Amino acid sequence: MFNLIVIIQSIVSGLLIGGIFALLGVGFSLTWGVMKVINIAHAAFGLLASYIAYWGLNLYGIDPILSLFLSLPLLFVTGLFIHRFLIQHITRSKDIIVASMILTFGLAIILENIMLLAWTPDERLITTSYSSKAIFLGDIIIRISNLLGFILSIIGISTIYLFLYHTKTGKAVRATWQDPEGAALQGVNLQKVSMIAFGLAIASSGAGGVALAYMYSFNPPSHNLWLIFLFLVVIVGGVGSIMGSAISGLLIGLITGLSNAFFPMQWINVLLFGLLMVILLIKPEGLFKK
Amino acid sequence: MRKKLFRKIYGFNILIPLFLIFYSFGLGIGAEKPIVIGGSLPLTGTFSATGKWVERGYQFWAEEINSKGGLLGRPVKLLIYDDKSDAKEAVNLAEKVITVDKVDLLLGGYPGTACTAVMPVAEKHKMVYVSMGGHMKSFSQGYTYSFGGPPLMGEWWYLGFFEWMKTVPPDKRPKKAAIYTMNNPIGMALMDSIYKGCKELGIEIVIDEKYNLPLTTADPMITKAKQMKADLLFANGMFPDGVMTIRACKALDYSPKAIVQGIGSVIPEWTRELGKDGDYIFSGTSWHYKLKYPGNDKLIRVAKERFKEDEPPLYFGFGYAWMQTLQQGVEGAKSLDQTKIRDWLKSNEVRTIAGNFKFDERGLPKPFIYLTQVINGTVELIWPPDMRTHEPVYPKPPWK
Amino acid sequence: MIKGKAKFLLFFVILFLIILPLIKPPTYFLSLIFKIFLYIILSESWNLIGGFTGYLSFGHVAFFGIGVYTSAILMQNLGISPFIGALPAGILSSAVALIIGYPCLRLRGPYFAVVTLCFAFIVDLVVKNWNFLGGSEGIHLKLMEMDIQISRSIFYEIFLGLSILIVFFSRWIQNNKFGLGLAAIREDEDVAQTLCINTSDLKIKAFILSAFFPGIAGGIYAYYISYIHPDIVFDISISILIVLMALFGGGSSWSGPLIGAIILSIVNEILSLFIKPEFARIIYGGMFMIVIVFMPDGIVSFLKGERGK
Repeated sequence: MFNLIVIIQSIVSGLLIGGIFALLGVGFSLTWGVMKVINIAHAAFGLLASYIAYWGLNLYGIDPILSLFLSLPLLFVTGLFIHRFLIQHITRSKDIIVASMILTFGLAIILENIMLLAWTPDERLITTSYSSKAIFLGDIIIRISNLLGFILSIIGISTIYLFLYHTKTGKAVRATWQDPEGAALQGVNLQKVSMIAFGLAIASSGAGGVALAYMYSFNPPSHNLWLIFLFLVVIVGGVGSIMGSAISGLLIGLITGLSNAFFPMQWINVLLFGLLMVILLIKPEGLFKK
Repeated sequence: MRKKLFRKIYGFNILIPLFLIFYSFGLGIGAEKPIVIGGSLPLTGTFSATGKWVERGYQFWAEEINSKGGLLGRPVKLLIYDDKSDAKEAVNLAEKVITVDKVDLLLGGYPGTACTAVMPVAEKHKMVYVSMGGHMKSFSQGYTYSFGGPPLMGEWWYLGFFEWMKTVPPDKRPKKAAIYTMNNPIGMALMDSIYKGCKELGIEIVIDEKYNLPLTTADPMITKAKQMKADLLFANGMFPDGVMTIRACKALDYSPKAIVQGIGSVIPEWTRELGKDGDYIFSGTSWHYKLKYPGNDKLIRVAKERFKEDEPPLYFGFGYAWMQTLQQGVEGAKSLDQTKIRDWLKSNEVRTIAGNFKFDERGLPKPFIYLTQVINGTVELIWPPDMRTHEPVYPKPPWK
Repeated sequence: MIKGKAKFLLFFVILFLIILPLIKPPTYFLSLIFKIFLYIILSESWNLIGGFTGYLSFGHVAFFGIGVYTSAILMQNLGISPFIGALPAGILSSAVALIIGYPCLRLRGPYFAVVTLCFAFIVDLVVKNWNFLGGSEGIHLKLMEMDIQISRSIFYEIFLGLSILIVFFSRWIQNNKFGLGLAAIREDEDVAQTLCINTSDLKIKAFILSAFFPGIAGGIYAYYISYIHPDIVFDISISILIVLMALFGGGSSWSGPLIGAIILSIVNEILSLFIKPEFARIIYGGMFMIVIVFMPDGIVSFLKGERGK
């Protein structure tokens, strides 16, 4: 199947989806890198935003993008609370990464079942007036919903990047990550900084959740499906690296898209996990180590 | 004076027996031990969306039969555990209801993997098990106590479609088929009838691929189908991937003569979420509320009044139908003896909202399937002709 | 160290467990305890590489599944009874552990966790797409001819035996030189290396051992469940659950996974009996959160710590 159109279309579709992987991965990477917290509930928080968007759209006719004005601050504050009251308690343990996985695993189950109670297990879709419309570039089609998701990702990732490199708090976050003791000596309030970073990560997951909801149907157990892609993105890109997550997200989307064109589809996942294993075994720090 | 007294005593004499009659009647119903029907369903986890509807179908059947005096004169009680969408749990819970709760009858689970795993347990304990089954393989293991009443047989799924296609003039039929199938037991079973049907009708299969769930994007596969000029698309998937496939078809402006979807286009969410884009999609089903079998009108009413659904969901109907089969087995055998029930079911016809079945020694009725098409937001029955509710729309009109 | 009185109690508990099937309890109880034994075997085995050595394998269910499929194929194609086939099943699982262990054990911490998780996904996907192994239709094994009360009792006793074996094996390892070496790796691998401990050798041995018993257990489980499908035996939640059980109980001790497996299984059972499904799951999730916040190194360490004060 070396048809040029098919290939270009695959590249375009893949990159657009990859952007969303990147957005979701960035927050995940941030919490892992900075706080040594592997947040298994990351995608579940994103799902909350998807539901808020769905609610807004179906009950009040509010566009999903606008719903972000509610869900982003809400998730940010939720993140602050979760960090303050849950995560800070496990910093005492011998192995914080493991402890964080167990903690957030429990959190993910709780979130999933709360959503189950609130919204039932029925599948939901976000269908706006522009959901199925597309832009045509010659024979290549770009779906508006995919494009929106991609733009959202660019905005989200850039915001996080700007925050980390051009604001005082952001620089403090980076300092904490690179050298916690040194940062503390310089008067950085480790607790406050971690809380903010966590809140930001959760909020970014919300943006990712809305972007995903434009394209896929969802219900409470859906967050489990996205978890493995989160790990893929973060490890390939390098834990804690924003640029890494962005690029690896695009890369993974690209590979998914292209392999659809060349391989029987059923082997794509084997390919992806195989890729992950290979990267881990050869260059575990990821392709873009900070 | 005497007359009054006489009347009083006479009145009492009427009242007392009447009172005693009513009292013993009430006592009778209350004192009857309920018949317990037990099992497990996925009430949480990946399959909870469907599990919930099966539960509601069972509950509705139970309420209805209790209001009519019960089963064999005794009230019916359901004991449904949550197997958390895990087939291993379903097996454990089946053993629990059989050996600890000592239920009188078993209820079928969901999905096919859970049912297939429970069938051997039911067989070993010699209890009748009416369920959707796990496609042909599960009914070929020599289990005598399992029944598909009705079954969900992937192998039969597109029989209706091809039978109908035979009535379409040859020059109007599609020439090339693109098949995309999800990689799980359901998907694998669906492919059976496609190969047979395409061969019979001389349709060339130009694409035949499987994909793993979850499907991240349908764009490349639709692009391929478009490039190969396939004018018949089989999207053998479930709801989420089905939706993605249709949206991709619209966005990429791919309009084959017909799109046939596996599972998902016959549930209300399809139209609710896809709107006009979900129209003209064909699918198969073992039950539809528009079938002219008695009982379907009741389900339509209950679905509307109680659940605010314009159409009774698919598994709501299935749950009810499975219970109907079990009920008739019990009533026919006039007993709760599992072997008697089994033998009765294997030698008599059962009438359900999904059709009338005669079970063979495997526990399967004769192959049947209904062809459906979504037209103007409603699922219509196309085949068999005596069940038709609307003329099919073929070939598929271009996307709006 | 088991004190005198405790030894006595233990003896009686084990005796009781052995005799239990003779009083013909409902097979559900035999199956329930069988399930607990399974998780004891899996989490104790896992703990050899996980809790003792500090290498958290999140793909351990793969070894279990490989065991299941091995004995299933031997049964289906060669007619070998899974009771015998369990041994080659265990050996094959160990062999696979040996092969992937070398490259994977070079990774540390969460990277090892993720690579083993990937490995489990890949095995699951490969089996799903391989028709010889039944693909995504699965394998149907012929049922055992005997009465189900007897067959359940047999499985129960076998797993009881395996559980006792693995628990004592684990205890023996913890206290011998091998185990001390593993503990040294867990505490600080680089320091261990400078102490001339052959860390690669120890790690790979632990990994192979940790795969052996799940392989055997899987081999026998194939016959128990009789319908084999990748979703059932390569279920990632099994992987996650055994990690949680071991860490919940406390990974550094042989008794941790035992306690973790027993407590979590019983709690799960009780929750599903009395509480509405979604709430039961919420409480279940909450339990992990509470334990990790208040007893971050597991229950056993917590209890020992208390006594230490």
